[in-house]
Amino acid sequence: MEDAKAEVLRYLGYRGQELSATVSDLVDTCMAEIRTAAHPRHIWRVFPLRPDAEGLALTQTDLILSGCDIRAHLSGCTRAALMAVTLGIAADRYIDSRKRTDLTAALILDACATQHVEEVCDRVQEEIAQDAAGEGLTVTARFSPGYGDLPLAIQPQVLRILDTERKIGLTCTERQLLLPRKSVTAVIGLGTHLPNDAPAHGKCDTCAKRENCAFRRSGNEGDNKS
Amino acid sequence: MRERIVLIDGAMGTMLQQYGMELGQLPELLNLRHPERVTAIHREYVQAGADIITANTFQAHEWKLGDAASVEEVVSAGIRCARAAGAPFVALDIGPLGQLMEPMGTVTLHHAYEVYRRQIVAGAQAGADLIIIETISDPYEAKAAILAAKEHTDLPVFCTMTFQEDGRTFVGCDPLTAVSVLQGLGVDALGVNCSLGPTSLRPVVDAMLLDARVPVMVQANAGLPVIRDGQTVYDISVEDYTDAVAQMVHAGVRIVGGCCGTTPAYTRALKARLSEITPKAPTPRGVTVCTSGTKAVVLDGVVTEIGERLNPTGKTQMKQALRDGDDGYLITEALRQVTAGAQVLDLNVGLPELDETAVLSAAVRTVQGATNAPLQIDSSSSEAIAAALRVYNGKAIINSVNGKREVMEQIFPLAKKYGALVVGLVLDEDGIPPTAQGRLEIARRIRDTARTYGIPDEDLLIDCLVLTASAQQEQVMETIRAITLVKRTLGLKTVLGVSNVSFGLPQRELLNATFLAAALGAGLDAAILNPLAARYREVLDAFRVLNYEDRDSARYIETYSQPAADVQPAPQTAETPGLAALIEQGRKDQTADKVRALLSHTEALDIINTEFIPALDRVGKRFETGELFLPQLMLSAQAVQNGFAVIRDYMSSLGQRRETRGTILLATVQGDIHDIGKNIVRMLLENYGYDVLDLGKDVPIQTVVDAIRDKDIRLAGLSALMTTTVTSMKDTITAVREAGLPCTFWVGGAVLSEEYAQYVGADYYAADAMESVTIANRFFAVK
Repeated sequence: MEDAKAEVLRYLGYRGQELSATVSDLVDTCMAEIRTAAHPRHIWRVFPLRPDAEGLALTQTDLILSGCDIRAHLSGCTRAALMAVTLGIAADRYIDSRKRTDLTAALILDACATQHVEEVCDRVQEEIAQDAAGEGLTVTARFSPGYGDLPLAIQPQVLRILDTERKIGLTCTERQLLLPRKSVTAVIGLGTHLPNDAPAHGKCDTCAKRENCAFRRSGNEGDNKS
Repeated sequence: MRERIVLIDGAMGTMLQQYGMELGQLPELLNLRHPERVTAIHREYVQAGADIITANTFQAHEWKLGDAASVEEVVSAGIRCARAAGAPFVALDIGPLGQLMEPMGTVTLHHAYEVYRRQIVAGAQAGADLIIIETISDPYEAKAAILAAKEHTDLPVFCTMTFQEDGRTFVGCDPLTAVSVLQGLGVDALGVNCSLGPTSLRPVVDAMLLDARVPVMVQANAGLPVIRDGQTVYDISVEDYTDAVAQMVHAGVRIVGGCCGTTPAYTRALKARLSEITPKAPTPRGVTVCTSGTKAVVLDGVVTEIGERLNPTGKTQMKQALRDGDDGYLITEALRQVTAGAQVLDLNVGLPELDETAVLSAAVRTVQGATNAPLQIDSSSSEAIAAALRVYNGKAIINSVNGKREVMEQIFPLAKKYGALVVGLVLDEDGIPPTAQGRLEIARRIRDTARTYGIPDEDLLIDCLVLTASAQQEQVMETIRAITLVKRTLGLKTVLGVSNVSFGLPQRELLNATFLAAALGAGLDAAILNPLAARYREVLDAFRVLNYEDRDSARYIETYSQPAADVQPAPQTAETPGLAALIEQGRKDQTADKVRALLSHTEALDIINTEFIPALDRVGKRFETGELFLPQLMLSAQAVQNGFAVIRDYMSSLGQRRETRGTILLATVQGDIHDIGKNIVRMLLENYGYDVLDLGKDVPIQTVVDAIRDKDIRLAGLSALMTTTVTSMKDTITAVREAGLPCTFWVGGAVLSEEYAQYVGADYYAADAMESVTIANRFFAVK
């Protein structure tokens, strides 16, 4: 739980300042509230990978993962898992309901929800890793549409392949915004002897905002602003 | 259909996948590319005994098809495939749009309606025999499809919604809300499909059977999907599935079919089993229900509070808010009433100088976005009522009709079309009858007329009308007698606007509360009142004990067992920090009192200039240097905001208005709905004395252009969170520039940067909320 709270604070721009009891308590309350409001659902499926002229194709689907970054991320992988996670619309509604009455709480709830959805993703990733381990495979970190040069435009395809609208209530808008807002889709590579199978790796290094991101993890290799 | 159970076919997608269709493809395109495969699957279901074949048109609408093919060709090919298979009846299949409706998403009712209209018209022209709208989570989305079907075809409409293990749909709709909204809109059958196996869906189906006036249908999955050898399979056998469905048919379900995972084998087994069962006629409870999109309020056996405060009569602030198009007032007032205990909210925006039709519809959308309390649409304009009912997301109450024939002729068709409840006032061309008997006669006439429109008795609420004790004292008790009479003789629900009784007398709350108690004793079902009034609260809380509504008096005990004197105000000693210190410490709950105390001996302007602004400046500096982080800055900002509210009220009580430092427009651009950052900027700008015109989120480009022109805005801030919506920012700024408006723009939001700001054509970039204040200060100082 302490790790989770540290993560929420990081999303809120906390950089080791003196943390007042008021703010600290507020974060605790909000974390508990969002966990009550959220109704996490997830879905994932594994597909064999096949190199294609345009990128890496997921067999049995019409999806081709294009771009240098995903190719690097999945190098050595024979399969890829597609995953989708959402906290459900109730989490959005809960945050929205506080925007009018207590904006500070709304902001903190929003950060708590972001942390919570990442935590659920970690659990799903673990599920995928265990499944893969059964077949003697290891997994890469998560890589989401819109990271690096993997186009965000594949989002509707990812949702269709996983049938997320029917299975977990996850949709996206014409502009590829996921709705419910607190949702994640990602690709995880599966293979033997993967070079980069440390889960934390790659979270920031391929991000388009890496040069000027306020939330960048400290402790990662490379510089950050803190 | 009366004599036997109707059988619909099973899954199409499952069958297509068995034949090797790739995931992610639109199955509907096969209608054009491989019609023979689609027809072959339909034929298997026909041979298995299905009465209705569902055409392969689930997602054949313009959003999903995109440029791949036209809606018309895919839909007509789909109907042809089903026809070619020898289907007894062919259903046009209508699925969800794949995007969320307002307020969770960005799709308006009108937009959804237009997309569905095209698909439905194409289906009707291609010769579909009926329409099945299915796998819906949001009744608002169902409404768009049902309206499109009813307004453009005469075909029967079936509608099913999809529920999860918790008994609700993904957007939180429960079975009673679903039944109330769908049958209110006039569907011919309603029910559930997808998500779960038949046994797991049973509780939802049972809940629907309680209240459905039309046949209930079930199309369950063959259990839950399991991946075996890379293929999705479902875990319920044909036999178990058929058993569970047969039990539901015995319970009253009239139409059955399959969904994901079912195959012709399931259809064949169902056919054999169902031919032995005689269908049961619906036996609805006939309860009175109003709903929002996600919540049903049942008026039977309980006292229902209808909040009256969303009404501009006598409220200067609300009048101003309506004129300015300021949503904040409506939202705040709606939430306050709901928090106080209102279960339904009356909504009236009648002001002579406003376009009531437009304003009422906009207000409905605003309020239904902020709360899930059902709404009572209160207007004397049938045009405004019609428009408001159309955009409403549930089963509303109309306030009101009366015994005048002309009024009933205008309003009852609307109530029927949109499935709304109606308040009937017991007055007619001759005014309000003086006796209870006379009012009963008008109530009877209202009921008889409603019946001729097909409006059931349970959808009527009779208002026996309150007369003021100061003017017509002898008739006050006549209202109470009429309530009893109407309830006993006609069996109709009653409603009453209570507070008129005390008009012109002192201590109005005392009279109001006493009158309310008398009316409740006479059997009143719903009271239109101010839920924030303490004496009403007491009467209602007490009556709910006596009425066996507050079981074991639990709520009553919780509320009233603490003596009120327990709470003592914090002593204001010399050591209490000053206002500026309270702000800097972010003690937002203490600044209002402090400001009140200061106002007794300090000028309002002095408080602002010597306390608020310097304290905020200091907090802002510490934030900029990284000594504080955002939540701390915001607590201080909220502390100022709460203090400002006191000053604003104080000044308006003196008839003054604070001088503004300038008006600034804020908007989260079209396509983007992440607006917390924008709201933070708004709060800080207001703290610094700016008037903010906040257009909200997902704001259409033209709305920004119009507002800048109409309000002569010189500085505007735009926010966007996503790279995909940054283009919207560029389009908005370009449109304003092309309109020749001299407005300066600054932009902010998670993905924004200096480079992006230049790309979108903005004048400034703000990396955080404080920088927005700096930009505004500089802009208005230079001027």
